[in-house]
Amino acid sequence: MIGQQLALLKRELWEHRSIYVTPVAIASIVTLGTLAALVFAGGFAKELDLAIFGATNLAGDSERKVVLTGFFIGTSWLFIFAAYVLTVFYALDSLYAERKDKSILFWRSLPITDAEAVISKLVTAVVVIPLVTIVAIMATHIVNLIVTSLWVSAKGGDAGLLIWGSVPLLDNWLAGLIVVLASAIWMSPFVGWFLFVSAFTKRAPLLMAFMPLVLIPLLEVIFIRSSVFAETVFGRGGTIPLFRGMDIESFFDEEKLRVNEEFVSLLAQLDVLKFVSSLQTWTGVVVCGLFVTAAIYVRRYRDES
Amino acid sequence: MTSLVNARGVSKHFGAVRAVDNVSFEIEQGKILGLIGPNGAGKTTLLKAVLGLTDCDGDLSVLGLDPFRQRKELMRNICFIADVAVLPRWIRVTQLLDFVEAVHPNFSRPRAENFLQQTSVRSDARVRELSKGMVTQLHLSIIMAIDAKLLVLDEPTIGLDIIFRKEFYANLLNDYFDEQRTILITTHQVEEIENLLTDIMFINDGKILLDASMDSLSEQYVELMASGEGAAKARGLGPIAENEMFGKSVFLFEGVSRDNLRGLGELRTPSVADLFVAKVKGARK
Repeated sequence: MIGQQLALLKRELWEHRSIYVTPVAIASIVTLGTLAALVFAGGFAKELDLAIFGATNLAGDSERKVVLTGFFIGTSWLFIFAAYVLTVFYALDSLYAERKDKSILFWRSLPITDAEAVISKLVTAVVVIPLVTIVAIMATHIVNLIVTSLWVSAKGGDAGLLIWGSVPLLDNWLAGLIVVLASAIWMSPFVGWFLFVSAFTKRAPLLMAFMPLVLIPLLEVIFIRSSVFAETVFGRGGTIPLFRGMDIESFFDEEKLRVNEEFVSLLAQLDVLKFVSSLQTWTGVVVCGLFVTAAIYVRRYRDES
Repeated sequence: MTSLVNARGVSKHFGAVRAVDNVSFEIEQGKILGLIGPNGAGKTTLLKAVLGLTDCDGDLSVLGLDPFRQRKELMRNICFIADVAVLPRWIRVTQLLDFVEAVHPNFSRPRAENFLQQTSVRSDARVRELSKGMVTQLHLSIIMAIDAKLLVLDEPTIGLDIIFRKEFYANLLNDYFDEQRTILITTHQVEEIENLLTDIMFINDGKILLDASMDSLSEQYVELMASGEGAAKARGLGPIAENEMFGKSVFLFEGVSRDNLRGLGELRTPSVADLFVAKVKGARK
């Protein structure tokens, strides 16, 4: 059973190579960007010496952690944004492409139920893509830290102290893992909807998936003069109950800035209990389950002849 | 004989259209049954019902299972080639073998690799890089490496040239078929497979027109080529079909003893194609 599900997941990675090619491409761009920035910074020798001196002697451990965590966040959002886009296209293609090229007849000639096949696609979207994303983030993080360390050492700085002694690897990575997985669960109703559209539409899955998301709010405004649907659907992305109330302004305001342990820890900003106990989280999971059940039903009962 | 497929009053409707209309038949183990019918006759719908790909009315049991509700269990012991084009084009040959090995308990990878070695299919090639004939060879290699009780082939050689078609059926007979296995096959190229078949079934407008063993055809049906007085007498014996060929009349008789026809002209066993045309035309009258 598990072996079969793993084989199904492996098949998804074979078919949708963009799941791992995209993060590798972004990792390469980020690393090239870092190299370019370091080369560019090399032109400001005096300022550089001063910065390294300042970071070594004046800034404390917390300040260095903030800077390194900022670097982690700055690069991670690129991967997370790409994973969102990737998930939309993956989910819309997953049950549509197999009908378009008729390979569904081959897959259905094997002892695999429709439920197992559709669930493997759901798991790919909400577990595999986030996991590939976090692994890519971690690998990029390490590579970029190594590159930066070599550069700092070449400029006379102590990379051991400035980079490796200060970077909160475990905190960053664990927080990153929680954010990508929780986001995937939070956005799973959309994944369910995309899988359902992918299972039933005869053409243009992207259009079929987004048309109701545009039309329904429009009709609601025109006829009912309310915007409940738009607020619920489009507002969902920004309301994930995972983050603690954080005064973002203080982060950017020099006068208010108070760097303390809680502030430099990404994990300390996350409230997993709030996420897990939120009714909205589970409502989303149920909606996702309903759409996935509908997708299984369509795959099973629809005659492909 | 063990009955692998048992259909009693099976029907399938698409709105007002009856694709399969109250058919009953049995398929016994160790048979090669040809299901012959014109386009839209209901062949594919019937096969889909047997394979559990579509629900139907009536009682249908395949290997003792309800095909639609127990499809996963059924697929462990049934193989099918629905069309040569259905292998996913993006997959590599090795990936395909890896996948089938992981999900199919009755698949023998060494056997599949052995079949593939006899072809020009490269193991690192993607399906989209293979010719149509090679895709069929690949598909057949996988199918033949599965220890299944029933093999269902729906137009398996459509679009292939004559060499690949001959090879396909030769492989099937020499390397796959034995008394434990049963094959259900549909094709338009009936002349190519009639020597393979042990049984035959004609279907038209969702109804079964003929369900017989190939051996019984020569006893039940006879073709007479006659002219002049012989033709006139033959006409009086109630042929099911009459055609003109080389200035002579060709009659097809059902259930008429050869003894009664001897002396009227040249007798022979009709080809499946001729019999099929006569049956379908007769049903349309």
